[in-house]
Amino acid sequence: MATANRTQAGVDHYVPAKQSLWKRFWSRSNERVGYLFILPSLIHLIIFVIIPLVFSLYLSFTDWRGPNFQNAPFVGLDNYEFLLGDRRYWNAMRNTAWYTILSVPGGMIASLIVALVMNQKLRGVYIFRTLFFMPVISSWVAVSVIWITLLDPNAGILNYVLRQFGIPPVNWLGDPATAMPSIVLISIWKGLGFQMVIWLAGLQAIPQELHEAAAIDGATRLQSFLRITLPLLAPTTFFLAVTGVIGSFQVFSPVYVITQGGPRGSTEVVVYNIYQRAFEVFDMGYAAAQAWVLFGVIFLATLVQLWYRRRQGEEVLF
Amino acid sequence: MFRHWKILLLMLAITLVPMTVLGQDQPVTLRVVGFVVPPEEIGTPLDQAYQDFLATFQENNPNVTVEALETPPEFDTQLLTDLAAGTAPDVWQQDGSTLARLIDTGNVLDMRQCLDVVPELSLDRFYPSVLNIHMPEGEDGPIYGLPNDFTPMVIYYNPLSFENAGVEVPTPDWTWEDFLDISQRLTLDAEGRNATDPDFDPENIVQYGYRHRHYVFEWIYWVWQNGGDVIAPDGSTVDGYLNSPETIEAITFLRDLVLEHHVSPEPVSLEQMTQQAGFLPVFLEGDVAMFPRGHWELVGLRNQSNYEPERVAVISNPSNVEEATVIYESGWIINNAVAEDPAKLEAACRLVEAATDMDYQLTKGISGVAIPANQAAAEQIAEETEFPELEQAFLEAVAAGRPPYGARFAIWPIVEQRLDLMMENILAGGDIQEEVDLAVEEINRELERAGQSGS
Repeated sequence: MATANRTQAGVDHYVPAKQSLWKRFWSRSNERVGYLFILPSLIHLIIFVIIPLVFSLYLSFTDWRGPNFQNAPFVGLDNYEFLLGDRRYWNAMRNTAWYTILSVPGGMIASLIVALVMNQKLRGVYIFRTLFFMPVISSWVAVSVIWITLLDPNAGILNYVLRQFGIPPVNWLGDPATAMPSIVLISIWKGLGFQMVIWLAGLQAIPQELHEAAAIDGATRLQSFLRITLPLLAPTTFFLAVTGVIGSFQVFSPVYVITQGGPRGSTEVVVYNIYQRAFEVFDMGYAAAQAWVLFGVIFLATLVQLWYRRRQGEEVLF
Repeated sequence: MFRHWKILLLMLAITLVPMTVLGQDQPVTLRVVGFVVPPEEIGTPLDQAYQDFLATFQENNPNVTVEALETPPEFDTQLLTDLAAGTAPDVWQQDGSTLARLIDTGNVLDMRQCLDVVPELSLDRFYPSVLNIHMPEGEDGPIYGLPNDFTPMVIYYNPLSFENAGVEVPTPDWTWEDFLDISQRLTLDAEGRNATDPDFDPENIVQYGYRHRHYVFEWIYWVWQNGGDVIAPDGSTVDGYLNSPETIEAITFLRDLVLEHHVSPEPVSLEQMTQQAGFLPVFLEGDVAMFPRGHWELVGLRNQSNYEPERVAVISNPSNVEEATVIYESGWIINNAVAEDPAKLEAACRLVEAATDMDYQLTKGISGVAIPANQAAAEQIAEETEFPELEQAFLEAVAAGRPPYGARFAIWPIVEQRLDLMMENILAGGDIQEEVDLAVEEINRELERAGQSGS
């Protein structure tokens, strides 16, 4: 076959005979060994990720209300059709979007400021970095209890500070207007350390020479930050924006622990809604449909971000 | 030939009689949830009562081994998973508020089978209104489980608050009119003026008459008292029920307690009052004179540092068109799978019989969380307790008690969440008719979907 190719083409170099993928796989012992190495992870992935994923998709076309899955009737697109008119679900989606709009830019700006300070050669900077990272590894329940105390309308330290400036106390978690911003504040505080570490990695990858050259050319520190630091941090910004949006759409713990969706449904977010449907009402089929619609929304939001990034002429990182 | 018949009969008798006896004494293991205290309560009188009960039961039923299992966290979820896996317990304690969902799964034994197997298990031992929770299809229908303990919702009041306001304590025959009048006279501003005074200052209240919250489990019986309801008896619709004139009138009455008469704190004020230490110390201090609750709150109140017996009294709900309250209950459920094995069925039935008889039910007085479902035991505890008038008030409320809707409609948790939100919005100043109409529309969508799926 290889010879025939050579004759027909009239060229003198070797053209390998085409083999099927399967044959090529088995003819390379190194590749086979490689697959053996990843086999445990692959089995784990199949059993704990891919099968549940496919199962949940199938589930979303059934009306499974437990306990026996065998009795669950197949209802086609009924769950999705019902979801379109589910005012409560779309209210939760609106709240989730509001949470995302507040928390993603807010968290990124706050953590960038902290990272810029933590990037200085200061004495004890490692201790401060550790301190800022501590909320990340703390449990949500512990963090929530602390913040419920801080935000207490009567005895909370936040209202105490406001009172010192003559501002009347705010019922942070009890007022529908302030409950979601309070949750956002807590989430930003908790996630600050993680984002700070990513920013720090980005900042430390920027060559110092660029700042020095700019300084020699007479650039101020602000100009240097705006014209050099920020543009060179673009890949980090993009990474934090994408992961931040994905994470924010899945917010659950602070709502579950602190407000349970209240007051008056102002902090009811999509995942909390899914949790209630699935594990309080056992409406598993409908909850699965809700989860897949959430996936669609997150997927769409990520696509928009990727499209925007491409339009800017930057390479896509993922 | 005749002689051979006799020999044959004799041989048959010799073979069958021991088999029958052996059938009854066949070793049986029952997996039971409901007789194990949490680890922190080991060694307490309640733990001892459970162990004594199990020891006595096994002594009386030597062929039965009871494997007592601890109640896992998130029991309802765990139970559904276990039922699906075929590893659910044989007998367990079930909250009546989620009974309908469990009945729908087809895993609950009809206890009429037990009445045949264990004749001494008489239904007369239970309060009819409590037993009714387990009979969703009426007197001639199946009996899904049997009552264990219960509580009607009543009104707690602080006699010191009444004394402070110079108001006579209510009597069990009180009406909505009396209730409103008493609540108004109990509500005092900083100048000591009550809510009937034209100069009363609603911005500066130091003592409230009543606590009304948005949770439907605390207000559904007010709708019943006014002759209304929130859902059709067959659970098919809320239209014509939740938006009926009677129900709207009851909701308006409750809303007015908060927003019109100011006898109940607004949600924000209530939250501020209770954020630090919870509601009970506030009640015992006399800042709120009355609130609705069940028997379990007696335990909570007694655990407060500012508890004094003379600060706690109980009375049944006021009536309007009719007397009504809701009964929250826990019952004994036998797994339907048990019926496949006659020996196991008999053992499970005997266990439920023993757990609902006078001797064991008297131990309910130890924790005091709920009232024994066994009438004789409840009455004996009420007589022997330190504060018989409190227990008597609960027992007086039982006759007017109705099942919680979670025992009737599997979809109730969804309806309940929506009704909570409806009342929350109304108490925040939302228009009653608009909020009710919105709730009717959304709940009916859910009911329609559930109806299509047969849930």
